[in-house]
Parts: sequence; structure tokens; C-alpha cells
Amino acid sequence: MTRPDKLTFAWISLLVLSGATTIVAELVNLGFDPRVTGTLVLFLALMKARIILARYLGLAEAPSWRRGFNLALSLFCLLLLGLYLGPLL
Amino acid sequence: MTHTPTPSLLEELPGDLLIWVLIISELLVFGAGFTAFLSVRLTDPVGFAEAQTHLHRVGAAINTIVLISSGFLAALALKWRNATRRVAARLALIGAALLGVAFLVIKWIEYADKAAQGITYETHPFFMFYYLLTGFHAAHVIAGVLVLLLIAWRDSPENIETGAAFWHMVDLVWVLLFPVVYLLA
Repeated sequence: MTRPDKLTFAWISLLVLSGATTIVAELVNLGFDPRVTGTLVLFLALMKARIILARYLGLAEAPSWRRGFNLALSLFCLLLLGLYLGPLL
Repeated sequence: MTHTPTPSLLEELPGDLLIWVLIISELLVFGAGFTAFLSVRLTDPVGFAEAQTHLHRVGAAINTIVLISSGFLAALALKWRNATRRVAARLALIGAALLGVAFLVIKWIEYADKAAQGITYETHPFFMFYYLLTGFHAAHVIAGVLVLLLIAWRDSPENIETGAAFWHMVDLVWVLLFPVVYLLA
């Protein structure tokens, strides 16, 4: 069996992360703490964004730019998380 | 002994510099929209949570799968074009465009459902942001579908790289928009 190439692996990872996002979001209906599920949902979105930047947009070949984008995206997701958690704390 | 010069920061960036200027600009605009959305939510979290229950999460989740698969085809197209597999690259771009159309059909069904419920942008501030952010994104999807068809026709590797990068930006915005608007109750 041949191993999938990096692009195919990225696509499969995005599908898995999207499925995980849907499952985590539905956990609220089962009584899970929305602060935890919301944090996980944003973390999964960040992971998906990083994969798109690295593999679809090709920043894996440009490590300096990749680090810069990842840092900016991570800080932005932290801002979103803070705004989301504000009314829940 | 030959010495290979280290590429500058700008030379390291894949593709055309201007498409990256566009990508960063678009990310900043959508980022401001998401920040405004969650900031206004602070004033009425209960109203926002109630309004969100009217959204079609399943349709939006399917649209996520549709867009990331479309992005995969666009990325494959560039890989195949660089390997001089022109026909395969063109077919992948047409497939990516068709998935973009599928995204728009699902979005249209979602909007029609809201209209049937009598929900407009005036119903609640949540829906003003909902229509603004998803509508602006859908406009980019329409533009992206046209770009994908254009580069399937004028299929130089440079054109495909630039057009596909625009499409990936649309994809990138959606993976952030989906949780913020549809999931964070």
C-alpha cells in the first residue's frame, strides 16, 4: 500500500478535523460545558487554517512566512476566544 | 565551489506577491468582521444564542466538506500542471468550480429557509452580521468560481497558482467563519 502524499494527507486531515468540530459542537446538547467545547471548536478551526496555509497555499515551503501567519492566526484566535468566553465567565 | 544565494523573504513566498497582498487584506477585513460580531454578542449573549438556533448547522458543515474538497482539487491542479498533466489539471479546476457551485446552492437553500421563516437582517443584530459575513463570503465564492473557470481556460502554471491561491483564501475564511457564526453559541 502506498502512503498518501502530503496534499492528500492534508485533505484527509481537514476532513477529520471538520468531523471532530461537528461532534464537539454537538456535545453542548449533551450537557458539556460550552466554555470547553467553544475552546475546542476554535482550536480545531486554528488547526484547519494552519493546514490550509501550509499545504494548500504552499507556506510549508516558506518557513518564515508560515511562522508569521501561524503566530498572527493564533493571536487572532485567542482574541476570538476571549470575546467568546467573556459572557460565559 | 559554487555558492547558492539564500532567497530573500519576498522570494521565499510562493506565487505572486500581489495575491498575498490581497489574501492578507481579505483576512484583515473578515477578521475585523468576526471581531465585531463577537464584540456585539457581548451586549446580548442570550439573544445571539437564541438567534443562532435558527441556523442550518448541518448545511454549513456539509459546505465545509465541499469547500475543503474543492480546495484540494485546486491544489492538485497546480501540482498536475507543474507535472505537465494539463488535461488532468483542467478537469481538477472544473471539478473545484463545480464544488464551488454546490456550496452556493446549499447557501441559497439556507437563505431561502431564513426567508421562509421571515428572518431578515433587521430581525436581530445577529442576523445583520450573519447576512453581512456569509453574504460577503458567498460573493467571494462566486468570484472564485469564475476565477477557477478562467484559469482552467488560460492554464499557465502562474495563472493556476494565483487563481488557486485566491480560492484557498476563500476556503481559509470559511473554516474560521463557520465556527464563529454557526457554532459558538
